Amino acid sequence: MMAWRARHGWRARIGGALLVLGLSGCGEAPDTGGGAGIADLGESAEDYRQAGPDQTLAFPEDHGAHPDYRIEWWYLTANLEDEHGEPLGLQWTLFRRALSPPQQAPADERPGPWLADQLWMAHMAVSRGTTHRVAERFARSNPSADALDGQAGAVAAPFRAWLDDWRLESRGNASGVESFERLTLSAFDGEGDERFGYRLELTAEGPLVAHGDDGFSRKAADGQGSMYVSQPFWRVEGEVTLDGETHEVSGRGWLDREWSSQLLGPGQAGWDWFSLHLDDGHKLMAFRLRGGGEAGGDYRSGTWITPQGEPRPLAPDELLLTPLASSTVAGREVPTRWRLEVPPAELDLIVEAPHSERWMDTSVPYWEGEVVVRDRDDDAPLGEGYLEMTGY
Amino acid sequence: MLEFRQVHKAYATPQGPLEVLGGVDLTLAAGESLALMGESGSGKSTLLHLAAGLDLPDAGEVRLAGRAISGLAEPERARLRRESLGLVFQQFHLVPSLTVRDNLRLQARLAGRDDAAWSAELVARLGLAGMERRYPEQLSGGQQQRLAIGRALAPRPPLLLADEPTGNLDEASADEVLALLLELVRETRCALLMVTHSPRVAAPLDRRLRLSRGRLTAPQEAPA
Amino acid sequence: MPTLLATLLSHYRRHPGQLAMLLLGLWVASALWSGVQAINASARDSYARAEALFTTDLDRLERRDGTPLTRDDFLALRRAGLPVSPLLEGELEAPDGTRLTVIGIDPLTLPGDSAFATAGSSSSSNPGELTGFLTPPWQARVAPDTLPALGLDAGSSEDATPRLAAGRLPPLTLAPALPPQTLVMDIAAAAELLDTGERLSRLVTAPGALDAPPPGLSLTRAATLVSPGQLTQSFHLNLTALALLALVVGLFIVQAALGLALEQRLGMLRTLRALGVPGRALVGGLALELLLLGSLGALAGIAGGVWLARALLPDVAATLGSLYGAGVGVELRLPWHYWAGGLAVTLAGLLLAGAGVLWRAARLTVLDLGRAQAWRAGYQRQLRRMALAGGLVAIGGLAVWAWLWRQPAGEGLTAGFMLMGALLLLGALWLPPLLAAALAGLARLVRRRPLAQWALADLQLQLPRLSLALMALLIALSASLGVNSMVGGFRLTFLEWLDQRLVADLYLDPPAERFDAIHAWLGERPEVAERLATRQGETTLLAVVRDGESRARERPVELFGITPGTHLTPSWPLLATREGRQAAWSALEAGEAFVNEQLAIAEGLAPGDRLTLAAPDGRAILEVAAVYPDYGNPRGEVLLATPRLGERFAAPPGSIGIVLAEGADPAALAEALAVRFALGRDALRDQRQVKRVATEIFERTFTITRALNALTLAVAALALLASLLAQARERRRRLAPLWVLGVPRGRLVWVQLAQLGGAALATGLVAVPLGIAITWGLVEVVNVAAFGWRLPLHLFPGEIALTLATAVAVALLAAGLPALRLWRTPPRALLAEEAAA
Repeated sequence: MMAWRARHGWRARIGGALLVLGLSGCGEAPDTGGGAGIADLGESAEDYRQAGPDQTLAFPEDHGAHPDYRIEWWYLTANLEDEHGEPLGLQWTLFRRALSPPQQAPADERPGPWLADQLWMAHMAVSRGTTHRVAERFARSNPSADALDGQAGAVAAPFRAWLDDWRLESRGNASGVESFERLTLSAFDGEGDERFGYRLELTAEGPLVAHGDDGFSRKAADGQGSMYVSQPFWRVEGEVTLDGETHEVSGRGWLDREWSSQLLGPGQAGWDWFSLHLDDGHKLMAFRLRGGGEAGGDYRSGTWITPQGEPRPLAPDELLLTPLASSTVAGREVPTRWRLEVPPAELDLIVEAPHSERWMDTSVPYWEGEVVVRDRDDDAPLGEGYLEMTGY
Repeated sequence: MLEFRQVHKAYATPQGPLEVLGGVDLTLAAGESLALMGESGSGKSTLLHLAAGLDLPDAGEVRLAGRAISGLAEPERARLRRESLGLVFQQFHLVPSLTVRDNLRLQARLAGRDDAAWSAELVARLGLAGMERRYPEQLSGGQQQRLAIGRALAPRPPLLLADEPTGNLDEASADEVLALLLELVRETRCALLMVTHSPRVAAPLDRRLRLSRGRLTAPQEAPA
Repeated sequence: MPTLLATLLSHYRRHPGQLAMLLLGLWVASALWSGVQAINASARDSYARAEALFTTDLDRLERRDGTPLTRDDFLALRRAGLPVSPLLEGELEAPDGTRLTVIGIDPLTLPGDSAFATAGSSSSSNPGELTGFLTPPWQARVAPDTLPALGLDAGSSEDATPRLAAGRLPPLTLAPALPPQTLVMDIAAAAELLDTGERLSRLVTAPGALDAPPPGLSLTRAATLVSPGQLTQSFHLNLTALALLALVVGLFIVQAALGLALEQRLGMLRTLRALGVPGRALVGGLALELLLLGSLGALAGIAGGVWLARALLPDVAATLGSLYGAGVGVELRLPWHYWAGGLAVTLAGLLLAGAGVLWRAARLTVLDLGRAQAWRAGYQRQLRRMALAGGLVAIGGLAVWAWLWRQPAGEGLTAGFMLMGALLLLGALWLPPLLAAALAGLARLVRRRPLAQWALADLQLQLPRLSLALMALLIALSASLGVNSMVGGFRLTFLEWLDQRLVADLYLDPPAERFDAIHAWLGERPEVAERLATRQGETTLLAVVRDGESRARERPVELFGITPGTHLTPSWPLLATREGRQAAWSALEAGEAFVNEQLAIAEGLAPGDRLTLAAPDGRAILEVAAVYPDYGNPRGEVLLATPRLGERFAAPPGSIGIVLAEGADPAALAEALAVRFALGRDALRDQRQVKRVATEIFERTFTITRALNALTLAVAALALLASLLAQARERRRRLAPLWVLGVPRGRLVWVQLAQLGGAALATGLVAVPLGIAITWGLVEVVNVAAFGWRLPLHLFPGEIALTLATAVAVALLAAGLPALRLWRTPPRALLAEEAAA
């Protein structure tokens, strides 16, 4: 235990800095419950812009970074098959966290080139059967110096989000909204036989979907929340390298864009988040924030998306999420079999992770992996998707 | 040979000065032997120390071989001891680092009067023959005492001072050592001043005096 | 037991001198030992902290041409997917003149297992802490022992922002695991403080993360960086050996004091036995007494040691810094095991010294008065045993020597110390039998001179009690002579070597990017007679080929390029050449190599062998044309002609030596250079300055050696003094019969001085050959193994005379005080003492 802390001291802190705002400080949240991390947020959040129903989305500008908001992410998951029909999952995420609000740029007469006002963190994961590989990187940037060629960043059009050589970027030079419709994703980590990663082409086969109230997604009963847009209609094709082998893959991807200055309230310990591709073309986003709901209960929210991309926000009482069974992963009990009920869409689903070994052993750990969707009544396969669980 | 004239000696003690000798007069002619008797603490050793020039009188005069020791510097007195005296004291034992032979000849050599033949004769007569290469601690008490006598007589001194020379010996050895001492003293015409508390030891000597409360008196019995 | 102990200890109330001597011995022995151990422990702590930082576990990238890397290089490499992290390193001067190393890091890209992770505070994952580290006003992490240099103490340091000449430091945060004199902060803060702009000192990566360096860069593997701990190992071994010597000398005193105390208490012990104290209780009581005195002495010793270490540490730190580049704090940092260890070593030493006493006490019989007289036979037996033990040591020493003989040069540092230890022990063990024999022989010669005869006989009698002190004196004298001769010889050699190597009048350190311009400019100046350009680099020795047989190696070596021109070649010292100096220099010019003595010894190289070195274009094979001395360099070095080094190894330029034309004014040239190229004041140094710095470093290197030596000698002198004082009464009593027999006191005083002076002189005479043997061992074995260079064996008659004089002076000093007391003692007191006996 001591050795672990010694080895990961800084990384844990870096992760904590980002994730206390983003994924919620898993495992730390019970300790902090209104403590250091949250207090930090509450203290200076007023210097940042607040997400709210009055914000309007504008593209392509909103594909880029929002430094006037405290936190932000570009979050891609994909359910793929290789040339033999073997299922394969992947994740790529870029997190941003502001170190200081833009209008409060450090008052220094000669801001050095290393002065940082943004902290970046990227995660990547590839999973296949019981194999699950994860990598994590960090960077700093200063928009004045690093707008286009820093170590990490995100620009709207032509779209580009990157950290080191991990890149999600537009194919071609389109500078309008269409620059976000055809992307390339490339990320590799490790050397020799340990090397893994992917080079993929993403093509949007449907429109962007704004969640909640025209893009404002509530995260607690008291009204706080984030700006939340998804592109759930990616067709994905390319190559994935794992265990020294490169596979031709294809499948479906889902990209979440979210930015906020105060995502979680005190007492919210973590969340369970579903993004599901149903075989009939519908998509379903659903999450449960543990704590922060009415009378301290859970806060639930979701969006039912038609094959044409029409969103139907789901109110807390239009969605039921029930854990059915848990698995022991990395020494923790994590629910990997769920019942998901959406009465307005007449859905009663069983969502299950075929492989529970999807623990993200990053600076702040969480569970993220592929799930299959079945009908609860006749067990018929209905689709696939991704499940993210934090705070366990 | 040795002359004390109105010799006074006192020691400082916590209780004030303690008079040990209160006007002692004493004369010892060459070749004469004198036994000095007295109780313990009567001043016998002090008198002997004064006679040897180891200490100086507070008042009065000590003359040794015609010279007043009070007038002599320390090195002079040392020379006087070296050349004119033989000492057989209970203390001042033999030199443990020297052999019997070297101990015997030590003072003769210091006095520059080493006589190999005489020394050899002394060794034989003192019954130490065959023990020349031994060290003092390898001798018996009587042998050690005889060696001390030999050491004192080896330079043929004109005066021998002896302090209880037989005090540590049993009666038979004492008689034997005493006889030997007197024989040698007579032979070398050496004067002898011997301190003893034993009338038996004092008896064979020419004269006897008793020291009492710092003064000399004749012993009770009539002189021989 | 309390009664018994009180009775035993009552002896010391009557003989406080003996107690003082015992405690003194324990005190000095454990003070010197624990002082050196404190220095070693502190230095090791510093190394451990330095190694835990960045030096050992990260690979380094630098530009081949020596110009600095920039932030753009970092970003370009990161975007190309290379896991590099920027590092900025610079120096600042603290208000008190201390040089502080500032290290700027990027914690976001620094390889995660770096110990910087733990260099932080104890607080748990606190996101605010990282924000604080990364954003103005930032944080400066600093070890508590650096605070005094900043004029702070631990209480007032947290969040203090001391002002330095370069600007205000970020708020301080304590990080005890950091090396001393080091500030670690975010790279943004460091860049501002050091005013480096976009420039970097280097890029670092996790070890082995890169297979090959990116184009234009050179990669130095962490594994090839020699850690300060390794480099300085031999230095600390030297110190430890000296401390051990002091400990042994101190224990000799202890043993002498204990022996005396026992001998004088034999009667008391018998009485106690007669009164019904069981033997076991008696031994137990004595052991308890030992423990009590030992603890007292050890505690005093440790306190003294800490004081000593504090006094010596700045010099040691300076030495290690200049010799090995190892940063050592000047504040003591002592782990708990240091204290426990100091106590344990002292007590163990005391037990060893006291074992004989306990053994004798255990065998004591109640009615043994008569046999106590058998000391003479007993001492003869003891002398025979000593001679025998000395013989065994000699055989052991010969075996070690034979083993060393068959080792390649540069091996066997520990064996070398063992050999010298054996020599010293042999000398010590054979000294008393030698003295006894000499005394017996002399005694036969002076039969006719009674006083001389007595003096010799008496000395023989005293020998058992004096011998331990004399043995201690012998060891200290020999070691002192040996070490001083070695240092003196080294000094001569070193100064001559400096003269030979420093032929230029001025030495210029140009910025790498302007090297060519400056070099060309100097070429056109009429006052410059010759330019001696150098280059410097590093590479790895991959193989050594000798007689057609190749041995694979993996050794980091330095590369150095010199200009073998008309000024340098005549004087540059060479130790061995293939075919003479002339041919060697031609070969160097033609592209062959010289190697320094360190490398030659470490790899067993001789002229004519071939080296395979890692080069940018694969491998370079070079023939060794000569071996040259390279004092003060802890590492192996390969020397090439400067142009060749540039061509084959792309080594960046170093300094330029400037030989001035006859009558040229160095100041004018310096001025012109400074104006033309805007060079800083530090860029140009004249030869005298370089020599002075080198000589200063040299002198400091041996300050501690000399100090320890002098202290050891002082201890031995104290031993002799103490044992003579302890016996003064008894000696006076032995003199009394002589006085009574008519030897004047003045003569007695002289006899006494002659006795002890003679004994010490004899000891000194034995110490001379022994000291020369020690010098030989240091020069031939220890230096070669520890530093990698061999010096000629220099003997200094003055040093030898000084050794003898020291011995006699020590003895006379020690004998003088009792003699003076004898001189002053009124005869009556002598009589009284005698009567009391």
